[in-house]
Amino acid sequence: MKVKYIINGKEEEYEIHPGEVLLDVLRRNGHSEIKGNCYLGTCGACTVLIDGEPHTSCTILAAKVNGKHITTIKGIGDLNNPHPLQKAFVDVGAVQCGFCTPGTILSAYALLKKNPNPTDEDIKKALDGNLCRCTGYVQQVEAVKFAVKLLKEGKDE
Amino acid sequence: MLKLKGIEEVYYPQTIKETVDILRSHGDLAEVVGGGLDISVFPNPRIKFLIFLDNLNLSYVKDSSEGIKIGAMTTITNLIESDLIKDYMGGCVHSVLPEIATELLRNQITVGGSLGKREPYSDIVTLLYGLNGKIVLSDGEWDEIVSINDFYKENFKRLLKERIIKEVILEKYPKDYFFSMKRYVRNATDIALFNMATLLKTEGKMITSARVAAGSRPKPAYLMQGAGEFLKGRELSEDLAEEFGKFVEEHIEVGTDTRTTEEYRKNLSHIYAKRILLEALEAAK
Ligand code: FES
Ligand code: FES
Repeated sequence: MKVKYIINGKEEEYEIHPGEVLLDVLRRNGHSEIKGNCYLGTCGACTVLIDGEPHTSCTILAAKVNGKHITTIKGIGDLNNPHPLQKAFVDVGAVQCGFCTPGTILSAYALLKKNPNPTDEDIKKALDGNLCRCTGYVQQVEAVKFAVKLLKEGKDE
Repeated sequence: MLKLKGIEEVYYPQTIKETVDILRSHGDLAEVVGGGLDISVFPNPRIKFLIFLDNLNLSYVKDSSEGIKIGAMTTITNLIESDLIKDYMGGCVHSVLPEIATELLRNQITVGGSLGKREPYSDIVTLLYGLNGKIVLSDGEWDEIVSINDFYKENFKRLLKERIIKEVILEKYPKDYFFSMKRYVRNATDIALFNMATLLKTEGKMITSARVAAGSRPKPAYLMQGAGEFLKGRELSEDLAEEFGKFVEEHIEVGTDTRTTEEYRKNLSHIYAKRILLEALEAAK
């Protein structure tokens, strides 16, 4: 069957098997910025935003979200023009191997859209489905707080 | 990793009637998809047809004269964000919801999907059992309201081959009702090792009726009939809380699985039963 998505603002059409999960469809079509690990919804490495809401793409059937807007980490910023969250994660040392980072930043991005002034507790709750094997969580919470500051200042320096 | 190899076709019906017609035509080979978490984590190789309910407008929480109506496609996140749920039962329901699963999964788990699957570890099923939720089943022509007890007394999986869960109705209990739900997890995002929800009606300190539901036992949630009868007509006190804890520990039907033992679950049930009554005592003061 064919599905259409708007991925990072661009319309894409893919041929899929109706029993596939979104993660596999996106990675097969070049979106290797989305990571996959547990395939059970427990690690959060495969997080994408679907109509702005973070989801584990390994538990979402690709056919179910036909027509939706999907945002991957590449959709919020890039090397030359990083989103304040991306810059903050690097500056604060919240990235080591980087496997969890795309998913974690997207969960944080969705949080800040809903709640631009989160408490530490709000941040921990929003990132509770994104597991990190290396950095630990202290730097990640600090990075989100730093990003809030950058966003408020309206600059990323 | 192709999880659902056997799927041949998917449907996006626009009405409940259309949904049920497709269901009936494919019998046991078709499955209705709520959030889709369960089917992607525990794929059923026999299923060939999937029916997505996303176009049926079943995601809502609204007030009505019958109670608070929650559409089957409402997610846990939708419930958390609902002002009606924030105020419901003094906020006791709202406070439990953010503790369930993770943000990512709360965005996917639906009320209808939780009820239709009745997975043993579901906190939503225990919560709705405790609150005596009413389930609205529909074939697109007729709606039938059944209590959660009656729904699970029937062969509910068979019922759901002829109808779908349209919504759940929560009664708007007056102030003399007290509700509490407890769940035990090893870490913040774990599946509960045990959960318990209790609804009490009181006159002062006198308990006039009680419902006690328990789940993650590791069998699916159930209503502990004897516990309600034990509490009826008793006066809230610290002694009663301890007595009730012992009663629940002795009578609760729990078992052992790879995650914990029957003995541990019994201990938890004692602690939670006691704690809930002490909270109710505090609220009655
Ligand atoms: S790969 Fe999706 S949550 Fe782990
Ligand atoms: S940075 Fe390696 S898993 Fe998080």
